[in-house]
Amino acid sequence: MRLDGNALAGVLVEALGTEMTEAPRRCQSCGAVNPVGAHLLYQGAGWVLRCPACGDVALRVVSLSEQHVLTFAGEWRVETPR
Amino acid sequence: MVVRLAGATRWYAARVVDRVAETPTATSLCFEVPGWPGHLAGQHADVRLTAEDGYQAERSYSIASAPEDPAIALTVERIDDGEVSPYLAGEVRDGDQFELRGPIGGHFTWRAQQGGPLLLVGGGSGLVPLMAMLRHRAAAGSDARTVLLVSSRTEEDILYRAELERLASDGDGLAVHHTLTRGTPQGWQGFDRRVDAEMLAQVGPPVADAPRIFVCGPTPFVEAVADVLVGMGHPPASIHAERFGPTGG
Amino acid sequence: MSIVTRGFRGRRDDSAKDLPPGQYLTHDFPVLSAGPTPRIPLDRWTFTITTETGVEHEWRWDDLLALPSDSPTVDIHCVTRWSKLQTGWKGVSLDTLLEDVETAADYALVRSYGGYTTNLPLEDLLDGKAWLAYEYEGDPLEPAHGGPARLLVPHLYFWKSAKWARGIQLLIEDEPGFWENLGYHDYGDPWREQRYQGD
Repeated sequence: MRLDGNALAGVLVEALGTEMTEAPRRCQSCGAVNPVGAHLLYQGAGWVLRCPACGDVALRVVSLSEQHVLTFAGEWRVETPR
Repeated sequence: MVVRLAGATRWYAARVVDRVAETPTATSLCFEVPGWPGHLAGQHADVRLTAEDGYQAERSYSIASAPEDPAIALTVERIDDGEVSPYLAGEVRDGDQFELRGPIGGHFTWRAQQGGPLLLVGGGSGLVPLMAMLRHRAAAGSDARTVLLVSSRTEEDILYRAELERLASDGDGLAVHHTLTRGTPQGWQGFDRRVDAEMLAQVGPPVADAPRIFVCGPTPFVEAVADVLVGMGHPPASIHAERFGPTGG
Repeated sequence: MSIVTRGFRGRRDDSAKDLPPGQYLTHDFPVLSAGPTPRIPLDRWTFTITTETGVEHEWRWDDLLALPSDSPTVDIHCVTRWSKLQTGWKGVSLDTLLEDVETAADYALVRSYGGYTTNLPLEDLLDGKAWLAYEYEGDPLEPAHGGPARLLVPHLYFWKSAKWARGIQLLIEDEPGFWENLGYHDYGDPWREQRYQGD
């Protein structure tokens, strides 16, 4: 059953050290802008986050033994405090 | 706006200080967590359990307590044959120790200073993060106009029933509505079907009031309700959804 | 050092049967996927094997059902650690589909409706090790579990058993698929616990 980007918040903060679910992403395929938390989340061997408007892949995340690997698509706007 | 809480990557020691049997299948656990950095209503925490031989299991639970509360409360719904929930919702004793990581999340949060009107729609355990919002709303003295619509299977499955009645009778702008989907008791005053447009139109707030909307629960519930809301004319950007799914039990 | 939780034992299957390392036994059938379930009408469904020289062999649904079928009962092992024993399927052996395919290729890249791909050596599709399956436990394979037809290669981790299979590209050189590109193993033998590259 699919979830949404809110369920990925923990993995993302563990991998990247920052809260990401409010970050808006502009889809490279359809141009829609949606926060990460509103993107659709699928779980296979790893996680796949997809644009809620067109379904295109926004992010893939795998957690291997020694590292997380993430591949991003689209324009992500992340703001983190200094 | 950036959620200005520290990145939640460390594990905190958490000790159970109270347990509340919310329903025949759900238990709230209250934890004392020294050093807890605070949280926003709507965020969740990861719980880690370690067996004596080192085996570990982790699960995520929405935080039920308000940021103003001294203890961190999580409400766990027992899933039959689950690996973790039968333990958490059944065998835990006061004094037991766990590890908690958090708070996690930002998109599905509400601060009293953001005001209302608010429309909160929860299905089953989807009510948990919405309850944190209502507890925070009360603690902050907010009178933001708020409507809560709760969908539960049967009357005995309703979480926090008495507390919701109390909050709704405070006269500070909160209305609570219930619907049951698997049978109603004698004299039931609430709704008795799945959430639909007619029900949402009846409980309000209307589209014209531009409410901030939070919908939480199992994926089919969230998606059905979100579709109805968009169909009614609520802008998609005003709808914050959090889908719950099978987590391993 | 983690805090030990009194009385927590976790998921231990005492009747652990014969499971590959790190796996636990499940009695349900978790649905995992990289994307939404595609819906393919049977009158538009095709399965195509393309050789390294570009020669295509195509089957439509009626072609598939007309081929001799097997009813294998197999154990399946998912890299997310669940294993399900003695699952019943019906499908066409890849030996049958590859019978008239002339190729010098050593590798296969399996493609699915919806865009998913996975790679494995061609020889792991042969000699009774793989099927294009269209029934599960006596019923038509549900879309959520890969219907109309999925690849079934039970001796490898189940991410290699591509759902919604639409074809196989035969290749001279191995080409990583969707998960393999991110670090999952090119082969994926559960008994040697080959979850990630380098395992």
